[in-house]
This record gives sequence, C-alpha cells and structure tokens, in this order.
Amino acid sequence: MTCVEFQEVLPDIMEGQRNAEHEAHLHSCSVCSGLVSDLNLISEQARFLQASEEPSPRVWNRLEIALRQEGLIRQPGRDRSLVAAFSRRWSPAWLLPVAAILVIAFGVMVYKGGPSQPQIADKTIAAPAQVSAPSAGNNGDDQRLLEVVGSRTPSMRASYAANLQNVNAYIRDAEQTVQNDPNDEEAQHSLMAAYEQKAMVYEMALDRSLP
Amino acid sequence: MTDARKPQGDRLSESEAIERAKQGDAEAFQLLYDLHKRRVYSLCLRMTANTAEAEDLTQEAFLQLFRKIGTFRGESAFSTWLHRMAVNVVLMRLRKKSLPVVPLEDTVETEEEAPKKELGAPDAKLAGSIDRLELQRAIEALPPGYRSIFVLHDVEGYEHNEIAGMVGYSIGNSKSQLHKARMKLRELLKSSRPERAGRP
Repeated sequence: MTCVEFQEVLPDIMEGQRNAEHEAHLHSCSVCSGLVSDLNLISEQARFLQASEEPSPRVWNRLEIALRQEGLIRQPGRDRSLVAAFSRRWSPAWLLPVAAILVIAFGVMVYKGGPSQPQIADKTIAAPAQVSAPSAGNNGDDQRLLEVVGSRTPSMRASYAANLQNVNAYIRDAEQTVQNDPNDEEAQHSLMAAYEQKAMVYEMALDRSLP
Repeated sequence: MTDARKPQGDRLSESEAIERAKQGDAEAFQLLYDLHKRRVYSLCLRMTANTAEAEDLTQEAFLQLFRKIGTFRGESAFSTWLHRMAVNVVLMRLRKKSLPVVPLEDTVETEEEAPKKELGAPDAKLAGSIDRLELQRAIEALPPGYRSIFVLHDVEGYEHNEIAGMVGYSIGNSKSQLHKARMKLRELLKSSRPERAGRP
C-alpha cells in the first residue's frame, strides 16, 4: 500500500476501520504513522476544551433581568409580618429606591452630555470621577442594600453581593472607557447599560425585600 | 459534570432545581445556570470564536431553556437537552450570519482553506504535545464550517449521525469534513511553532 492509497482511506482509518494492510503500512511508514498520531493527539486534546471557559458574570445578570422581565422568575409570597419587622428594623429603607433613581439619573446626565456636546468634553471626563462614589463605589448604599436582602432572604445575600461587585466593576470599566474617549458613543451606551444594570439589581433586591 | 450535579450541603440537587425552576424559583434558575454555564459558554465560544457573541448566545440558550423548562419531563438527561438547545441556538446564529455551518463538499474550497496534502514528504510532527492555548487559537483560525464540525465532534463528543441530523447533511460528509478540519488544524499548529516543527 502506498502513502497516497493510505491517506485516501485515512478518514475511515481514523474512525477505527483498520485492516491488516493499513496496519502494515503504518508500521513501515514513519510519515503516515506520524500523521495518524498527530491527528489522534489533536482529537484527544480537543476534549479538554469542553467546559473550559467561564462566562462573565454579566451573562447571569442579563439573564436574570430577562427572566424577571418575562415573568419566568416569580416573586415569593409577601409576608406582612416580615415587612412590618423589616420596617421597624430599617426605617431609612426608602433611601434605596432613591439611590437607584439617582444612579439612573446620573447615567442619563452623562449619556446626554456625550457625543452631541463635544465642547463640554472636559466636564464629561470629570463627571464620572466625581460621582463614581454613588454609582460604582458607594459601599454605604450597597452595604445597606445587602443588609436589607440579608434580613429577608439570607441565602441570597452572597449572590447579591457578587452581583453588586460585578456590576460595579462593569460601571468602572465603562466609566474608564468614557473618560478615555468622551465622544465614543458605544462606550456611552455601555455606561448607560451598566447604570441600568445596577439600578436593576437594586430594583430586584427591593422587589425581593419589600411589599 | 456528574459531581457538579450533586447537592452540596443544603443546596438543591439538579432534579429538585428543575422542579423548583418550573415554579419560577430564582435560586433554582441560578443553580441550573451555575451547573451548566461553563459547558454552554465554551461551546458558544468555540463555535463563534467571539467572546461577545458567545455571551449573547449563552444567554439566549439559557433563556430558551428556561422558557421551555415546564415541558421538560426528564425522559432525556437535562444536560443533553440543554446542550442540544445550545447547539441549535449557535447553528441558527451562524445561519443568520450566512456563515457556512457546513463546509461545502467538493465545491468551493479555497486553496487557503483546504488542508495541504504532504504525501510521502518528510513531515514534521507535533512532538507529542499540544498546548491548550495553541489548540484554542488554531480552532479559532479554522474556517467556520470546519470549526463547527470539529467542535461538535471532537470537543463536544457528538457522533457523526447526531451531527448530520443537527446540520442536515450526510454522515459521510461529516466524517470527511472532520478529517479535513483535523488536517487543517495540524497544519495551523505546525505553522504556529516553526521552531519546533523544524526539529527531527
């Protein structure tokens, strides 16, 4: 058997359909045996790529938002006694929706000040730095939110903490991109989306925690 | 995957999570997502070679799954159901983008795309090792049609008859295209490390 003949039937040989003639050629030809061992190696190594990558936390955040918007995630039953207890324990809880509104308002402010008004680019650059505390880095508000979540559904506290951490990182990245190029419309859309995501996290947490 | 589906501490088992997800339980949805996200995302990433697109497709695959979870009766393994759904979502996207889901057999195969034949020539081997990153990059560099077949068969472990059913062509074509994809990968891997390829 020649190399040409061997390689013509190689797809079948790789599927395990080998006969004595094929084996004899493999033993006598280093080129063809090298080729077969390389193809086997590629195939074996490929299996290690299965489930090898971790998606960004953004994927779950967006998915959860979509699930809630479609009504696939249903709210737990509302317990008046828990609500009353919550109100006694945490009277300034009304601050949380206000924080969410502020986050959105800030996002709108930055978004509108962007591409259409290049003359205020310096202002736009400075703005995220000034207000990044309430948007991405306000640990006080985030901590209060987590306390609220923890008091009602302790099992979800860690999940919300991770979500807040992720969305804050997302906001910081987006803010940085806008700072680098205040006229980049795509970056401004990303920043807007980041603020909306954070507002959504607040909204979901409150939805879970309040009547 | 099997270990991941076992309940950890007071966590739900997969079957409990499925039942609770049918009732709209947020934690159950998240548990199911956590159990399967890596495999679904890796599939999407390998097939598209694009992170943003892979994220979109992962979200879409899980969204479709959760929309239909009420119809899941457990006749088939949940993971099989989910991964098949993910494959369909990806193939649909590739079709929409007019990328060849299936390589065209014996037709338009550019010289650049087709694996080279080196019959009888002294041939450098891959020296018995392939770095994961190297292989990953080589897969990304494959023409989309070859990439789909290779990922479905060699990475995801689907059989030729299953692949043929998913993408709608013959088993023989699947075998032939898989072989060409592997040959092309070998060529890409060798060219990516000329210093090693030159060794005896």
